[in-house]
Amino acid sequence: MADDKDRGKGNPSLRNPGRRRFLKGVGAVGAGAALVDKLALPGEGLAEAANPNAVPAGAKLKIALEINGQKRQATVESRTTLLSAMRDHLEPAVSGPKLVCDHGTCGACTVLLDGKPVYSCLVLALDASTKKITTVEGLGSADKLSVVQQAFVEKDALMCGFCTPGFVMSVTACLNANPNATVDQVRAACQGNFCRCGTYPKIFEAAMAAKGTQHAWMQTIENAVKGT
Amino acid sequence: MADTAPKKKKIRVPKVVNGIETMVEIEVDDTGGPAWGPNDQHTLLNHRLTRVDGPVKVSGAAVYSYDVRLPGMLYGRILRSPHAHARVKKIDDSAARRIPGVHAIATVQGLRARERPDKAAGADASAKAARGKQPELPPHEVRYEGEPIAAVAAISPEIADDAIHALRADFEVLPHAVTADAAIKPDAPKVLGEGNLEEKEKKGELDKVEAALKQCDAIVEAEYRTQTIHHTCLETHGIVVDYRGRDAATVYASTQGTFTIPPDAAKALDLDESRITAIVEHMGGGFGAKWGIGMEGKLGCELSRQAKAPVKMMLARHDEFVTAGNRSGSWQKLKAGVAKDGTLVAVQARQYRLGGIGAGSQAGQPYVYSAVSSYREVYSLHTNVDSSRAMRAPGHPQASFAIESLMDELAYKIGMDPVQFRKKNLKDAAYHRQLDRGAKEIGWDRRNKVPGEGAGPLKRGIGCGVGTWGGGGRPQCKVTVTIARDGAVNVSVGTQDLGTGTRTYTRAIVAEELGLKIADVREHIGNSKLGAANGSGGSTTAASLSPAVKDAAVNARVEMASKLAQVLQAKPEEVSFRGGEVTAGGKSLRWKQACAALPATGISAHGEWKPGLSDNGVHGATFAEVEVDIETGHVRPIKIVHVQDVGLPLNRLAIESQLNGGIIQSLGMALWEGRVMDERLGVMVNPSFNDYKLPGTLEIPEIVALIDDADTRQAVIGVGEPALIPTVGAVANAVFNASGVRVRELPITPDKILMGLQPQGGTT
Repeated sequence: MADDKDRGKGNPSLRNPGRRRFLKGVGAVGAGAALVDKLALPGEGLAEAANPNAVPAGAKLKIALEINGQKRQATVESRTTLLSAMRDHLEPAVSGPKLVCDHGTCGACTVLLDGKPVYSCLVLALDASTKKITTVEGLGSADKLSVVQQAFVEKDALMCGFCTPGFVMSVTACLNANPNATVDQVRAACQGNFCRCGTYPKIFEAAMAAKGTQHAWMQTIENAVKGT
Repeated sequence: MADTAPKKKKIRVPKVVNGIETMVEIEVDDTGGPAWGPNDQHTLLNHRLTRVDGPVKVSGAAVYSYDVRLPGMLYGRILRSPHAHARVKKIDDSAARRIPGVHAIATVQGLRARERPDKAAGADASAKAARGKQPELPPHEVRYEGEPIAAVAAISPEIADDAIHALRADFEVLPHAVTADAAIKPDAPKVLGEGNLEEKEKKGELDKVEAALKQCDAIVEAEYRTQTIHHTCLETHGIVVDYRGRDAATVYASTQGTFTIPPDAAKALDLDESRITAIVEHMGGGFGAKWGIGMEGKLGCELSRQAKAPVKMMLARHDEFVTAGNRSGSWQKLKAGVAKDGTLVAVQARQYRLGGIGAGSQAGQPYVYSAVSSYREVYSLHTNVDSSRAMRAPGHPQASFAIESLMDELAYKIGMDPVQFRKKNLKDAAYHRQLDRGAKEIGWDRRNKVPGEGAGPLKRGIGCGVGTWGGGGRPQCKVTVTIARDGAVNVSVGTQDLGTGTRTYTRAIVAEELGLKIADVREHIGNSKLGAANGSGGSTTAASLSPAVKDAAVNARVEMASKLAQVLQAKPEEVSFRGGEVTAGGKSLRWKQACAALPATGISAHGEWKPGLSDNGVHGATFAEVEVDIETGHVRPIKIVHVQDVGLPLNRLAIESQLNGGIIQSLGMALWEGRVMDERLGVMVNPSFNDYKLPGTLEIPEIVALIDDADTRQAVIGVGEPALIPTVGAVANAVFNASGVRVRELPITPDKILMGLQPQGGTT
């Protein structure tokens, strides 16, 4: 469930939303009922929210997201996660980041937020609106793969492929931070990613094959983004 | 052509239903067909091929069912029963219906009512229906926590969640039994109406075994338990149904069987099967659990029917744990005796399959070992838990863990080298070869001669185990290969790629036959409008599909040779295809030149499975080295060596990955994973990746997966499953060798090690 800290700092109209507006933003009546239980704080706005007919359908918020160097517009609710915004609310969708656990445990939704790897299922879309978002699509495309992506293909570091975008992001972030990372450092960097097919040994191989040259690749991406 | 009918022969082939394999006899033409040739003569097959769908998967471009988003699409969510056993008295959906953005609500009881006229097709029922007076349906009785009872469809996932929370269901809660120990009690609540114990098999002569046991030099009697394991496919079960109220629908499904979708969806949507197109472009893991559209798919179709809009109905992660299947647990009571020389004289087994409301699966004991005499009784012991489903080598790792532990105990008891003891009781020479190779690779001589010996709190040990699997093929795929005048080569079949590398070998077989590069061929799969193909269960895909691809490719080559013979002024049989050129009589044409000489319609050739191109039956041996911290009870796997025969390795790189995957899932079963049930509440207490411990990057040991090339069968055999089987027993035996603690109940967690280290302990 959404919490109400640090919300909407990128959008002046959303600063200090207040509990009343927050509940409106959360919106739909069912959530109203459910949230009243969860918040368990008596006070303004609750009566209104608890009345199913008084709350308009989740207040829609227009936000801008900078994804892979492109400014994108999305209409979301205040509780919408960055992952859901990309997959379900952007048109066309950005579906490289996968929804797997929705609880910040599996890493399949990993993206870079201002260069740092985060679980996009744990970031509210609103909170991401002031930051640079890089998804697996932003690293390279099928006909022009990044160094890490190419290494994943060459070492067979994927099987069903559903965890792969997350691992590619975690390995990329690891090598960006430490171009000479050891296998143990790659293991540590990817400890928040799960693969059920069991590609781990090949992922370690891919990371070792990519290290050293990955940094140069990221420079070319950043230059390309700056150029646009 | 001979004018006599072709000679026939009978062969035994695997038949797989919902991932569970049985052997059946079929009749096939006894004529020489295409052949693969020697395994070391291939130009593409038996090499390390990178997978052709790699680039789209690593760049996020691959579209899985979960990624499909259609105009006007609604998001479905499931309401699950919070009770292990209850009757659904009433579902009040009035609040949910008032939520703006909620477009449809369906209940399982509603589906049952809709399905009823079909089920009761008798004259009586239709007469009653005609009078508009159906007897009231008995209430929906749920038999496990998590059983779906209703579903909603809304314009966003968030609103669908709201609607689920707004549904109010009233239950009449009934008594439950969710653990084997509770369910086996005489006064236990009845899970399926009758008793909870269902006899499955009795085999052997009990009298003989009992008499033989009295003559043995050493006896071990022990109980082994294996836990319930979850598939935890990263892409959950589900479908996106594109139906807008007209006479056709497209269903995007995360499934192991493209062709299992249309019959189910047709029924759920009241359409003809031929009006359904199933799409399985990419899918995020199955491991045995994904067949047909399931209850979630039925509800998704119903929501789509009501809303006249496409619906995405993918299970949430919690749903996936509690209502999408599992590997059945086991409880095995074994007694075995040996002679001094290591001969396994007698084995007596009482085996319970713990498959919840399902039957469960468990290979019969003494599994791969030959005993002079053996007797077993096999039962399903039902509990109020979601039905087990096939899971990667269904029934085998459970049986393997128990028998490998038992064999180890017997070997230590008579003071015999566990490898020699196994070889003494394994008939098949393949095991002997593989055990010798694995022992050499891991350094078997380094093991503790006395379990638990060695100074310091970190103790290392080595153990081993073996396993078997089928992996054969049968005629069930229809493949088309086309060659166009512009040089394009396409191979089409409706099959699916679970991450096993189906796309890659399909392309490679055609490319090799035509002397081309992999990039010169395009494959089209995952569509029920393409040629028929079997579901991917029992490791039967490669062995069923690759012969049909080979047959189609050979037919395409032969047809092309006959068309080009004139151009090259040679006989068709003199035309060769190599290195991107078509050559005969000293003349060579580049591939595109050769294709330009084809008739305008190009070439379209078909292929089917042919006997002789696939085989059945593989063997594997695993050695595990572990480190046990006797102060904390923590077990760290150090190294796994697995030797596997595979017949003709279609793609060595992909096979290596499949072996790694099986080994890692087996490690999870040995050391970390397991569903935990609360007997009082009747619920699963760890239905998330936080609490269900999967193998992660920090746990993975050094893994050496070896293809046993001494197996020179020139035939394809599937090996998606077998590597999962012996690792679990090998790890348990390594733990014993390291620490002297015999853990007979999985997973081998620190508490069990510490209990075993207690002075009165030694075993748990």
